[in-house]
Amino acid sequence: MGEIKDFNCTYDNSAGINGEVTEGLGLTFPDAYLHADTMAKLSRALKEHDGAAFCELPFCHTVEAEAMGGLVNYGNDKTGPRAKEYICTKPEELLELQPIDFSKGRIHEVLQACRMLREQGEHVVLQVSGPFTILNVLIDARYVFKAMRKQPEVMKEVFWKLGNEVLRFMEEAKKYGVDLISYADSSGGVNILGPKMAEQVVEDFTYEFLKQVEGLADEHTMILLCPKTTFALLGTGHGKLKDHLTETGIRYGEACIRMTGKAKFAGQMCIKNVGYELENGIFKELVLI
Amino acid sequence: MSSKEELLKRLSDGVFEMEEDDVAEAAQEYLDAGYPAFDGIMDGLVDGMNRASEMYEQEEYFVTDVLLCSDAMYVGLDILRPYLPETKDDHKVKAVIGVVEGDTHDIGKNLVKIMMETAGFEMIDLGRDVELQKFVDTAKEEHADIVCMSTLMTTTMGGMETVIHLLEEAGIRDQVKVMIGGGPISQKYADKIGADGYSQNAVEAVKLAKSLMKIA
Repeated sequence: MGEIKDFNCTYDNSAGINGEVTEGLGLTFPDAYLHADTMAKLSRALKEHDGAAFCELPFCHTVEAEAMGGLVNYGNDKTGPRAKEYICTKPEELLELQPIDFSKGRIHEVLQACRMLREQGEHVVLQVSGPFTILNVLIDARYVFKAMRKQPEVMKEVFWKLGNEVLRFMEEAKKYGVDLISYADSSGGVNILGPKMAEQVVEDFTYEFLKQVEGLADEHTMILLCPKTTFALLGTGHGKLKDHLTETGIRYGEACIRMTGKAKFAGQMCIKNVGYELENGIFKELVLI
Repeated sequence: MSSKEELLKRLSDGVFEMEEDDVAEAAQEYLDAGYPAFDGIMDGLVDGMNRASEMYEQEEYFVTDVLLCSDAMYVGLDILRPYLPETKDDHKVKAVIGVVEGDTHDIGKNLVKIMMETAGFEMIDLGRDVELQKFVDTAKEEHADIVCMSTLMTTTMGGMETVIHLLEEAGIRDQVKVMIGGGPISQKYADKIGADGYSQNAVEAVKLAKSLMKIA
């Protein structure tokens, strides 16, 4: 088994909302973050501003947690929605949280916005968060780290509870036409967890979870992995990269769109790095082993 | 009965090995034996935390380890602190710390707080997503010597410059040193906005704070 390498997040492009984008759109904040039509409008404006090949939704990593009962500060035009106070102090409390109802609330609006954009002919990247990112809204990270050491079985249950909700979110997204489902959990990267704990997470959760996610990839849908997740799979011997030659000078997002139906997982670059061109036109598919 | 040295070692090891129950037990035994709380804190708990910091610097310990060590240290502090003799003249350097408004990523800030606290600074933790004016108001009220700010997002880093302007407006900019850090932050950015220093990680933050305050 190798070593889990880290991928350095640069938080490029549209991490938060650029003021230039929102000017002239006639949107009011934070109201614009709450409704499908304004979300779609804003997402499209961001795509045009960034020169991206796709629209991205949502604008934050709080949607799943809010749908499970988490408290969110919706922010303003400069800073998007973010966590408010934590609602849990014990991992057992996390197991009691409500399942997500996709027919109401902001998560429903996000799905509706995805459908609107698809109907307008856009490719849509739905950014879905992994357990650590969701937990960031629900509970102080120190309780999570402590429980991982002292109550690993409970935490495994927590990961799977959240993982199953995420899986349902992805399944729902497909019904709304999302063609690119991005999965990231940068809060649980090796730079934070350290190599031992990062490996434990892959063994207890990520690998088996992604095996289930793999079943969602088809001729219309591709799964995009954050490179931190790619490296975690490669480093634990649960993944390998398979090269596909596309076209010299092609950007990552365009390559993902082109490879949909031919590859299940992409993960060689952060999807937020919209200007990234594939080296020698080689698209690297992540294959689970 | 255990000797003072044995109990100090148990306190230090308990912190270093992240075993808060052991720390609590050793701290109570230490007090019951009548040993001075101050030594228990400095030569036991802080010693353990310093060992953890060294391991962190050598990349043998990681963020999660340091946080768990600090949990154990705080358990011990809660037991020993009430038995510290009252001192009228406290020369601790005081620092206000927080994650700037708009950002909730606070792991790095928490590490800096822990490391600085271990190094003897008095830390006033404002938490995450902190309203910018609050840094200034707290620095003023508490007569702080340092203001520490962090963020992981490019969209919120501008808040650090705003705080510096607010400190100027409040007339206390020359009374505090401003330290910044976080993912997108660099020395160049610190220079640009007029901060006094930038540090890449928690260990460097302690060195920077000491250097800014001219402490050995």
